[in-house]
Formats: sequence, structure tokens, C-alpha cells
Amino acid sequence: MNPKYLALEMRRVLRSPRFLIFTVAFPVLLFVLYVGLWGKDQPTKTTLMVSMTAFGAMAASLTTGARVAVERNSGWQRQLRLTPLTGRGYLSAKAATGMLLALAPVVLVPLIGGVVEGVSLDAGGWLRVTLGVWLAAIPFALLGLLIGQVGTVDSTQPLIQLVLLPMALLGGIFIPVESMPGWLLKIAHVLPTYWMGEIGRSAAGQASSSIGQAVLILAIWSVALSVGVIRRYRRDSARV
Amino acid sequence: MNATEISQAAAKRSAAASNGAAVHLAGLRKHYGDVKAVDGIDLTIAPGEVVALLGPNGAGKSTTVDMILGLSRPDAGAVTVFGAEPHDAVSQGAIGAMLQGGALLDDATVGEMVGMVASLHRKPMPVAAALQRAGIEDLAKRRGNKLSGGQKQRVRFAVALVSDPDLLLLDEPTAAMDVGSRREFWRSMQAFTDTGRTVLFATHYLEEAEEFADRVVLMRSGKIVADGSVAQVRALAGGRTLRAVVPGATATAIAAMPGVTEYQIRGERIAASSSDSDATLRALLATYPDARDIEIAAMGLEGAFLSLTSEEETTR
Repeated sequence: MNPKYLALEMRRVLRSPRFLIFTVAFPVLLFVLYVGLWGKDQPTKTTLMVSMTAFGAMAASLTTGARVAVERNSGWQRQLRLTPLTGRGYLSAKAATGMLLALAPVVLVPLIGGVVEGVSLDAGGWLRVTLGVWLAAIPFALLGLLIGQVGTVDSTQPLIQLVLLPMALLGGIFIPVESMPGWLLKIAHVLPTYWMGEIGRSAAGQASSSIGQAVLILAIWSVALSVGVIRRYRRDSARV
Repeated sequence: MNATEISQAAAKRSAAASNGAAVHLAGLRKHYGDVKAVDGIDLTIAPGEVVALLGPNGAGKSTTVDMILGLSRPDAGAVTVFGAEPHDAVSQGAIGAMLQGGALLDDATVGEMVGMVASLHRKPMPVAAALQRAGIEDLAKRRGNKLSGGQKQRVRFAVALVSDPDLLLLDEPTAAMDVGSRREFWRSMQAFTDTGRTVLFATHYLEEAEEFADRVVLMRSGKIVADGSVAQVRALAGGRTLRAVVPGATATAIAAMPGVTEYQIRGERIAASSSDSDATLRALLATYPDARDIEIAAMGLEGAFLSLTSEEETTR
């Protein structure tokens, strides 16, 4: 991948107020607020920390992919097709930008959790909450790309919210998994958000399944979404 | 030479032409459903030529440009650019293009956009040099959403230039420019072509073709209807227009005069296009000795354009 191109892409996103508000400030503030409301004990604080880290990471990686729609509709994507940059190169640069931005909540929320809110975990635990949750954002970066390749400038934001909120709710990011009724849990088990949460929850031994299972399901999501993104890109570029 | 030898020689010639040519199109076709956007085009552009692609809306200009760029795939026929497939020519940085429409970013500065494209090419020219050639050094720090229509066009020009391409394809490059910036644009364009680069530009402005192109290719309904120097294309359309005040002129008499290809009569005023204006004038004076206010003018490219692109439509 071309590092200079990636750096310029990053600079563009870092400049936008949307990034600062939704991917940096929002999860951090929600976390502090929730801990103030319900964070009576260590396990609750840890769950809240995991949830908000996951939420921040998925929001960051999803939103960045959606910028693809803007570039596709403005003709910038066509202009880039007149450079040596391949479709694969373009898409992976976009996904990588999303992943790099997801680092912000993945670092900030646990940092505040550990330093300010007094959450304590062992080294392996911290690694799962940060690196683990970050890697689990890969399917969301791909989902963002797919939305960007399908939507228009006007429809991508609503589409993202339509994916982000239900997935966060049904996947146990905003509702504690243990309070979910059986039927809801069945739905949750299909969603990548649930498994992203499982990786984080396993940090404090709160997960109900093995990490291998989470990795497997997230990998299946990633492969399926990659296929969707590539097919959609090919069809799109054959058309215009 | 027998038939096979002749056809072999022809094949060899066309292969040689396509190898040495900047652009070579053979039997190019592209249909969208029932619409024959490009309907069998053969065209060879030599290195260093500046060619204008003219035609009314929907003539197939943009579709042709897209196929040369490899953005869309022909249904039939072949495209080579400097002897290579369009896709390979693009990844070698041999083609620069100004596309129609947006194609800029709102949230990046001019310098960043040109820099981004430069960073993707293998042997780009310095970003500052591209900005300077496009005449927009002073806009380097300005964001895409703060540019006027004419400035945007020049940023697109810088984006097209920065790979230091041998072939430039410009689709309506001066749309949205005022007269002043249009002139400035062509001045920087000429500085570029003076270095021996090849340019193919599609335009609506006939005077641009007349002034800047070595060669004019006229398209209509997906076909090339004329191809030659500006003078040749003008001549193709019948050369001159004769205007006069002719009391008592009748349509049948005017139509029957030698050389007349087209005519209009309004009251006593006639206007006739003629392939042989001398003969037309002699016949006119013989038939109507009191004809007066006679003017004979060479048909502009615009006249040629109109008569060549509308001819078949009226007989249909």
C-alpha cells in the first residue's frame, strides 16, 4: 500500500468535525456518563468500557467507508482509476483508514477506564480490550465500504445509522447480554457486534464462549463482506 | 500481388500504424441497450497531434474518450494507446485525462489533491510544477469546495498533468470557464503541446477546435462523419456561402443552379451553400441580372459542423 496516499487520506478525515465528535468524543463521553450512572462495581465498569470501546471502533470504521460514496458520486473514484492505483489498492486504503481511525476510541476509552475509572485488568485482558476489539472492527470497515459502494451521498449516512444502531442494540453493545431474552440472544449470536463484545468481555472472564469461536465468526463475516465489496466494485466500474 | 499478399501487407501496415500511433482505434463499438453510442470507429492519432473531437450531444464523444481511457470496455473492436492496452498505458502514467463533471474533493486542498494523484504515479512531475503549468500556484492551499467553476477546471488540468503524460485526453476542458480563463487555459495547453505531447480534446466550442487543433474529427450518432485538418473539414461541407438580394428569385431556379447544396429564401434575400461559388454566381447573374448586395464567404467550421452533422437527419 502507498503510504503517502494513506497519509493524505488520514489527514482529510482527521480534519472533519464529524470524526472528532462521533468517533472520539462520543464513545468517551458515553462511557464516562454510563459509569457515573450505573458503574457501581468492577464487572459493570469493565462491561461498559468494553461496550463503548467496541461502539467507538465500529462507528469509526463504518463511517470512513462511507466516504467512498462521496468519491464515487463526485467522479473522484473515476479520476483515481486513471492512476496506477488498482481497485484493490483503493479499497484497502479506505479500509485501512477506517481501521487507523478506530484506534482512537480503542486507545482512549480503555485509557480512561484504567486511569480515571479504576478498571483493573491483567496484561492479557487489556490486550483483548484494545487490540482484540480493534481487530474485531475489520468486518465493520468492510461493511462501511460496501455501504459506500451501494449508497449515494444522501443515503449513506441514514444507511450507516440503520446498520450501526440496530447492530449495536441487538448485538449487546447497549443492552447487557445477560439481560437479553432467549430469542434476542439468538439474533445477537449472528451479529458481528456480539462477537466483538465477546472478545472484549473475555478480558475479564465475562464471555460465555471461546475466543476461537468469536474469531471464526468474525472471519466469516469479513470474508463474506470482502466478496460483496469486490463484486460491487467490479460491477460499479464496469458500468461507469 | 495476389489477394492474400495484399491483405497481409495491409495487416502489417495497420499493425505498424497501431504500434507507432499515440491512439489507435479499430472497429470500435459500444452499445447501451438499443442506443449505439459508438457505432464502428476507426481512428489513428499520431504522436504530437492535437486533435479536436467535435459533435453534438449524444454523438458518442465521451463514450469514445472513456474507452480510450479504459474506463469502459468496448463491445467490439480494439483500442491501443502507444501500442499498449489502455489499462497498461494508464498504469504506466502515459495518459492524463480531464474528465467531465465533478471529480474533485471538497475536503482536500488543491495541493493535496494534486499531491495525492502524484503520489500514486511512478514518475510524476513535481506538484509545484503541475500547479504552475495549470496556472494555479496561488490556489495550492485552497479547499475544493472554495473553488470557482473555472478554477476547478484548472485543478483538473493539473491533476491530468501531474503524471507527466504523453497523451492528454480532455473532455470539454473549458466548460464553465469565462473567456479570459479559457484563453489562459489554452495558452498553458499550447506550452504543453509544444513539447511534442499528443492531445485529444472533445469540445462544444468550434472556435477552440479551429484555433488549437491540427486536426478535427467530427462525430455524429456514434460514427465519424469527417476527419481532417480544419480546412479540409470546412471544404468537405461545400466550401462557401453566397448571400444576395435577388428580386423575384424562385426556389426552383436557385436549387437548379450549379454547385448549390443548400439554400434559404426569405423574401428577396437568398443564402445558398455552394461547392462551386464561382459557377453559382455566374448562373445567378445570368438569370437575375439585377441581383445586388452579393456576399461570398468561406463557410466557418460551424457551418461545416452544422451541415455535416444534420445532413443525414433531414433526409431520414
